[in-house]
Amino acid sequence: MTGVDGNRRYCRDGGAVTSRLLDDIVLLYHYRSGQTHMVISPVPEILDRMADGVAVTAQDMQGRLALDFDMGQELDAVAEIAAHLEALVDLGLVRAA
Amino acid sequence: MKHSLILRIGPATFRIGSAWRGPIDQLARLYARYPAVTDEIADFTVRLQPTSPVRRWIRPSIFITGDHGLADAAPMSLSHGLLAAEMGMNLQMALGWRRHLLLHASSVEKDGRALVMTGESGSGKSTLAALLGERGWRLMGDEFALLDLDTGAILPFPRLVSLKNRAIDVMAGEVGEGRMGPLLAATAKGDIRHMVPRADAVARMDEGAVPRLLLFPRFGHDADERPVGSAEIFMRLTQASTNYVALGQPGFAALTRFVGNVPARAIDFPSGEAAVAMVERLWEQMA
Repeated sequence: MTGVDGNRRYCRDGGAVTSRLLDDIVLLYHYRSGQTHMVISPVPEILDRMADGVAVTAQDMQGRLALDFDMGQELDAVAEIAAHLEALVDLGLVRAA
Repeated sequence: MKHSLILRIGPATFRIGSAWRGPIDQLARLYARYPAVTDEIADFTVRLQPTSPVRRWIRPSIFITGDHGLADAAPMSLSHGLLAAEMGMNLQMALGWRRHLLLHASSVEKDGRALVMTGESGSGKSTLAALLGERGWRLMGDEFALLDLDTGAILPFPRLVSLKNRAIDVMAGEVGEGRMGPLLAATAKGDIRHMVPRADAVARMDEGAVPRLLLFPRFGHDADERPVGSAEIFMRLTQASTNYVALGQPGFAALTRFVGNVPARAIDFPSGEAAVAMVERLWEQMA
């Protein structure tokens, strides 16, 4: 969790995204920016679990993902998820709530 | 402008104006079999004008401009006027066309299906398309392939084929002098000669084809063939498109559909003949 506030909450950006699967890559077209992003697991899974619009912390997201995936050590997983959420904020696909 | 001509190539019309007669006469000869266009409002204007008033007469030097211009386009010698006109048309298409996703690629057609070839300048895609166009395929274009945003078809843009350096003799021997333009020696890309596409390529230039195979050719290497991953194909095609970003979501939808539907291979080849044989074999395998 170094450098990221554990209570920070995130939600999907309102500018909708269209996605297409190509092999193991997911292409995301972000309408608001007109940018195309190429992403791999776990980014598509994280975004899918934000589709309800509810603001979540990295800890909440770990819980959502753990319903479907073996997440290993919880602390490591939360730190990794937090880093992905911050990267998605930088891309404009996720906003800090 | 003092001298002018309107040309239609595939879906695009160009009004080419020139301060000099020479380039227009050369274009008129080489595009003589293309459909006549009169009184039409052209999609693009290309202007070949002197870099300064005196340069119309003394050491004539051409500045290429038009609806869309590049501020740093280098002036060219009048002896390269035909090349300046062709570059001007390419520039207008690359910067201004919005009706289709424009791919920097050559394409040929057989049995209603299109083979699309993309790669850097010097990859051999232009020469290979020209060769196939003389060997039972229909040349659709040597420079730009237009991907229809609704149907996913490839539409032709069969301008003059631009042959460089060693490809000049190969193709001149194949098609004869009557279909070749003047030698433009020592241009920025080396020696260049233009070749008029076969009559069927011109007559059927409004006829698209469903893309069936995508190749990434590379000339000058031992024969080899490799699969290419979808993600790499997508990346390379966005780089090969001049208007992908401008088209927005329809461009994204069209390109992802293309990558999802069209099998692709990278091929290396030591000669044009070897490449033609590889293409024919791959085409049969995909049947």
